[in-house]
Amino acid sequence: MIAVTEAPLDLAAHERAVVDPAAGAVVSFAGVVRDHDHGRTVRWLEYEAHPSAEAVLKEVAAVVAADPAVRAIAVSHRVGVLQIGDVALAAAVATAHRAEAFAACARLVDEVKARLPVWKHQVFADGTDEWVNCP
Amino acid sequence: MLTVRYFAGARAAAGVAEDQVPPGCTLHQLTATLVARRGERLGRVLGTASFLVDGLAWRDRDRPLPDPAVVDVLPPFAGG
Repeated sequence: MIAVTEAPLDLAAHERAVVDPAAGAVVSFAGVVRDHDHGRTVRWLEYEAHPSAEAVLKEVAAVVAADPAVRAIAVSHRVGVLQIGDVALAAAVATAHRAEAFAACARLVDEVKARLPVWKHQVFADGTDEWVNCP
Repeated sequence: MLTVRYFAGARAAAGVAEDQVPPGCTLHQLTATLVARRGERLGRVLGTASFLVDGLAWRDRDRPLPDPAVVDVLPPFAGG
């Protein structure tokens, strides 16, 4: 399960997708839309993806999956308009032991944030807006 | 002809989604042309952006761009 999609993300489905008889640990992560950023109230936001985003996500997952400790990976990023509390990024990693699963899931999320061509447009309660990280 | 596609904050700064630019230039020259056409706000974004040429990362600012080509302007990523 690796996707860039406008559909709501189901973290439990990602956890189920990595079930493996040899895996003693499943670590999952949900990146959730929060209602504040740098002290300002966020009303809603919109994610935009480059057409290559899903291919890049598959590359990133393959890099993390190349670790022999990793049994399975599921990761999805949502795009479009999201409300406070919606899941923007869902990830799950299965390994034999827990320390490897925590490390691999953290690496997966870090790599997604660094490499995925996705952008976040925040609309604030005062009506202003910004593209995050964009000067 | 070069087709420049602006994404996200680059599109907001340019005020348009695409530009057409005559070929025969480097990435450095292309960005100067785009700033002259669209303004310094776009210039700030171009200073931090990465570029794809026909879908592949293009880092050399002094090599002539192919013709025709599609140049994608990608502002800093902000996923997750």
